[in-house]
Amino acid sequence: MRPLLLCLCLLPPVCLSATTPSSRIDQLAQSDEWLTLLHYQETTYSDADQSQADDAAFFLSPEGATNPKAELRATLEAIQQPGGGNDHARCRFPARDQWLRRQLNLPARPIDCPDYDTWRSELNTEAVTLVFAASYLNSPSSMFGHTFLRLDPDDTDEAADLLLADTISYAADAEAHDSELMFAYRGIFGGYPGITSVKPYYEKIRLYSDIENRDLWEYRLNLTDQEIDRMLAHAWELTGKNFDYYFFDENCAYRLLALIDVARPGTDLLDRVGTHAIPSDTVRWVVDENLVASVNYRPSSATEVRHAIDSLSETEQDHVLEMVEGDVMPAAPRVRELPARRRAEVLDTTYEYVQFRAREDEWRRERRATLSHALLSERSRIDAEAPRPTAPRPEVRDDQGHDTFRVGLGGGREGNRGFAQLSVRPAYHDLLDPPAGYRPGAQLQFLRLDARFYTGNQELQLEQLTAIEIRSLSVRDRFFSPLSWQVGVGGRRTDTRNGRRVLTPYLEGGVGGSWGQPGELQAFAMATADLEIDDDIARGHNLAPGADLGLLHQGRTVSLMAGLKTKAWLINSQHREDRAYTEVRWHLDRGLSLQARWEREDHFDRMETTWRTGLQLYF
Amino acid sequence: MKKVISAALLLGASSMAFAQPGCGVGAMIWKGQSGIAPHVLAATTNGTFGNQTFGMTTGTLGCQTNESVQSMAMYMNTNIDKVARDMSRGEGENLETLAVLLDVAPADRDAFRTLMKDNFATVFPSADTTADQAVSAIVALMEQHQTLNQYVG
Repeated sequence: MRPLLLCLCLLPPVCLSATTPSSRIDQLAQSDEWLTLLHYQETTYSDADQSQADDAAFFLSPEGATNPKAELRATLEAIQQPGGGNDHARCRFPARDQWLRRQLNLPARPIDCPDYDTWRSELNTEAVTLVFAASYLNSPSSMFGHTFLRLDPDDTDEAADLLLADTISYAADAEAHDSELMFAYRGIFGGYPGITSVKPYYEKIRLYSDIENRDLWEYRLNLTDQEIDRMLAHAWELTGKNFDYYFFDENCAYRLLALIDVARPGTDLLDRVGTHAIPSDTVRWVVDENLVASVNYRPSSATEVRHAIDSLSETEQDHVLEMVEGDVMPAAPRVRELPARRRAEVLDTTYEYVQFRAREDEWRRERRATLSHALLSERSRIDAEAPRPTAPRPEVRDDQGHDTFRVGLGGGREGNRGFAQLSVRPAYHDLLDPPAGYRPGAQLQFLRLDARFYTGNQELQLEQLTAIEIRSLSVRDRFFSPLSWQVGVGGRRTDTRNGRRVLTPYLEGGVGGSWGQPGELQAFAMATADLEIDDDIARGHNLAPGADLGLLHQGRTVSLMAGLKTKAWLINSQHREDRAYTEVRWHLDRGLSLQARWEREDHFDRMETTWRTGLQLYF
Repeated sequence: MKKVISAALLLGASSMAFAQPGCGVGAMIWKGQSGIAPHVLAATTNGTFGNQTFGMTTGTLGCQTNESVQSMAMYMNTNIDKVARDMSRGEGENLETLAVLLDVAPADRDAFRTLMKDNFATVFPSADTTADQAVSAIVALMEQHQTLNQYVG
């Protein structure tokens, strides 16, 4: 067959597509490479018989979205048309063109693609870096992280060049005026177009590092020149095309995995996506596939300013606050009497802190501008170079933390009833999970299911289903004063007056403060509100204000939390529900913890003690 | 290779289309804040709340013909608070980026950094300095400099 094909290549091109044996076309149309290029991918929610692209412009054949063979035939014909220019199929789909030419040994006829050629020469890409925007403490929902690709130019010995490097990202093209609730809804159930876009890295830094306070991890990939060429050719095909965006699976990270799959055939990162593609998980896969050459850490503005403040002495910290409050001018004698190097560091830190506060507290422009200008003017007069403290790289990267799917097995006793308990949690992290690689004080759980089997009467019961639970315990001090908050929704067992434990839907929330050393020991106090709705409760629903007080230690080997919760149920004969608890977890390994929990509850004037132990495995 | 912020990239950088990059960059250095959405959902918004990318106002810089200066002006407009910070220190990646955009050779970088630091008050005379005023001042300073004048010719 091969010699025949070679001969045919000499014939006029249009004739060729007609004469490529259909068996060969069948074979190519079902090959992994072709299906990857067209984004046919089997997922938990859909079969592989349809492309994930939701854009007719992504295909040359009208049937392209459902028929890879028709698309291959159409492509084969189109790329053999004479001529060139931006609208030529070869210019619109350079990756498909290159791949088909190689497979069919078509002649490498040069073609003029003004837009694509300009784009490629401007990108001037020597290496590709996967950038992971980590979560920020007071934003547990940012725990999922975000990823995008950075295209590094060829002379990257200078950091400055990297600021100007282009990035490729895939994001929901949401209407700016959509509310967050709408955003969440449409993000989960579909409805937002997802668009691939190219932006300079400095804009990304501005967004993630300065505005959202998220550290960036930069994973330089070990792609060859040829692989980079394929990736960029395919990125060009994707740019501006619509792929509907879904938070959980077809999200920012997902599309990037597809790009890497195209770049290095056989990688098949997309096959690893199950029900959800959490960006931090996708980074793990990329690391597992030995795609990473080196890793760099770029702390966020918030991380930097925190570290800079911690590097100052108590008196110097006083100076910072005095200047921020306007009690002392940057040029005041009190500041000027500091040694030059110390003064430089104090002014630098104050400037960074002012920028942070101005963003967080929405300062008026006059206040920010006047103080900022005074600080910098004063700083520019100091010749001494300040040894600028840079936040150290965390020992454990986010992708080196525990895996996010957790299964718990154990047993215990509630009052005088023994039970075995199985707990399954698809995502993501709770306060007592191994803390390395996660933000201290932050918790985000999805779809956690606890089931109990009571050994006495051989009864299987759903104990709790946590649809979503978020906790954010951010410590307060004189520089930072974040609120701590928590919110949860799901179904749980609750006592009724006649002593039954019924499963009832609940909604709970709380807000308060936290103090101490994150990780080491922090205390928290929250005002809470609970709502339960169920036929088995008298009047069908109940409402309770309450309080949640506790202590938390998150250690590398042992994590511990203890506290008191009290709720005053309001409706239908008021009653109190008080609870004291202690839970300890011993982290034996990144993937294994032992758990012990004790709880004493006073509800409807009945006291009951529950304890349980078990182990927790992370996958 | 010479670094410029290309027109195509600028289009990507803002929802506004610029026919001529460099024309009118009037951003104030330290802007007031119009507010940041709570950090809830930050991860999943992927830029939805990232609309803080500077409002372009029409300034008075005019359309510099020098491509390097245009790129520099563009960069200043987005990053002026960081550039100002680096200038006051005489070092930093944003100051380096300016030098790269202006095509300042590595051998002349020290002179560039020193010139910027020593003349901070000239480039940013007041708290109300705008990006285009700062750009004009930088260009003027370089024009008067015996080695750096080659980069703004």
